[in-house]
Amino acid sequence: MNSKERLTRRLAGKPVDRAPNCNLIMAFAPLYIGKPQSQFYLDYKVLVESNLRVAKDFDLDILGAISDPFREVFDFGGKVEFPEDDIPLCSDNLLKSYEDLPKLQIFDPYRSTRMQDRIQGIELYKREAGSEYPIMGWVEAPFAEAVDLRGMNEIMLDVYDHPEKLHQLLEICLEAEIRSAVAQIKAGADLIGMGDAAASLLGPDLFGAFALPYEQRLIAAVHEAGALARLHICGNTTAILNLMKLSGADIIDVDWKVNFKLACETYRGYAAACGNFDPVAVVQQGTPARIREAVWKCLDAGDANTLIMAGCEIPLSTPHENLKAIAEALRDYPRY
Amino acid sequence: MRANEIKDLIIKGDAAGTAWGVEEMLAAGLAVDDIIQGILVSAMNVVGERFREGQIFVPEMLIAARAMKAGLKILEPLILQAGRKYLGKVVIGTVKGDLHDIGKNLVGTMLQGAGWDVVDLGVDVAPEKFLKAVKEQKPAAIGLSALLSTTMGSMKTVLGLLEQEGLRSQVKVLVGGAPVSEKYATEIGADGYAPDAGTAVHVFARYAS
Repeated sequence: MNSKERLTRRLAGKPVDRAPNCNLIMAFAPLYIGKPQSQFYLDYKVLVESNLRVAKDFDLDILGAISDPFREVFDFGGKVEFPEDDIPLCSDNLLKSYEDLPKLQIFDPYRSTRMQDRIQGIELYKREAGSEYPIMGWVEAPFAEAVDLRGMNEIMLDVYDHPEKLHQLLEICLEAEIRSAVAQIKAGADLIGMGDAAASLLGPDLFGAFALPYEQRLIAAVHEAGALARLHICGNTTAILNLMKLSGADIIDVDWKVNFKLACETYRGYAAACGNFDPVAVVQQGTPARIREAVWKCLDAGDANTLIMAGCEIPLSTPHENLKAIAEALRDYPRY
Repeated sequence: MRANEIKDLIIKGDAAGTAWGVEEMLAAGLAVDDIIQGILVSAMNVVGERFREGQIFVPEMLIAARAMKAGLKILEPLILQAGRKYLGKVVIGTVKGDLHDIGKNLVGTMLQGAGWDVVDLGVDVAPEKFLKAVKEQKPAAIGLSALLSTTMGSMKTVLGLLEQEGLRSQVKVLVGGAPVSEKYATEIGADGYAPDAGTAVHVFARYAS
């Protein structure tokens, strides 16, 4: 059973040889193949080569085009720095005032720089391993993108101070993300992941007003273009679990601070829960024995369609034996 | 306006109402310290508690903190005139490579309200800059914030640098942020850990002079 078959069958609740390993890999990948971090963010060939190596060596089941949150910001015209051997930084907000909103031009992903690079990465994945692995494109969800463009503190106040302007910004972000997602699907992405990290800072009322409706529209567009949707919201999302299930996503990631059993029960009949051991305390700092215990605990809490990952990105300095231990725990689980 | 009404305005995040209320309190002859402790800090304690209990979320914390600051601003000239006695000095910052500042800012505002002299080094702060601030500002404590598992390692570097320069015993080091845990804090040799801004105020209080 290859990874593509494994994910498809698992999502349908059908028997599999092992649950899919859906960990999110970013900064770990270039380090693993000895390439500078900056190349991973700027050159799709390095992104693809490093992720393929990691997937093969550690039995991962999804090839992801996720790298950093700033591809769209860069293509909107924002300033992003790429330190040689560190993660990208965006230290200057592009949209300092809503007076500048009319100047914000939605980019064409095919004529952009960084989204175009991601599209090329997906095309390369497709050629190299498209029949074997599911290929996952990536976009920022509209609320997260608004934060990337305007700043976290600003948006957190805008929800009260400038709700109408914020909705105008969210409409622009939604359009950019739909175009980016559809272009990736046309390039060969089987699923589109979307990060909405900042949304976990909102309570249910504000999440329902400013994040969820835009997630729903983005996910509807992804489905219409023929791909699956994966919603990733880092942080403690316990208060919004009930709303997240209404997003329409096929897979909903669950960060480690959330009770996984509760998440699986909440999402039953709506989406496959994907989670959720602690990436730092368990994966980066734990022992293989502790990792096995954590993986099995998630599988015990889940359903026939439950997927497994650390709650968020695999940390940069994760020992290789620990990442191997996740794959071994999935393989050895006795109760599939 | 009564003290409790002003507290409610802060909790609701009404900055203009809070400023007006504080002016009324001053006009009625209430002492500056009583306004700070009895109204502003007391209101933010309620806000911190509600945040910990999941009754309110980050935007509500931020507008409440903004309202409290509006009240503090009215009092500032009087504080300067009287020479306010601080609990001590605290240096805070988000570690190198990390631009997330919402938690760090909330900690700063809450500490300021609680009576600390807060020096905020901002975001993406190199370990050497924390070291320089400890040498120059001589704070009672420093607070290191990180939101990414890729940047939290810098906390250990800061602690190592303080040790190397023989300054470690002179300053308490507190850490916090999404990927950080009590266990991690202990492992890297930090003095304390706080999962949120409200708790940070309680933890820093141990080091008040």
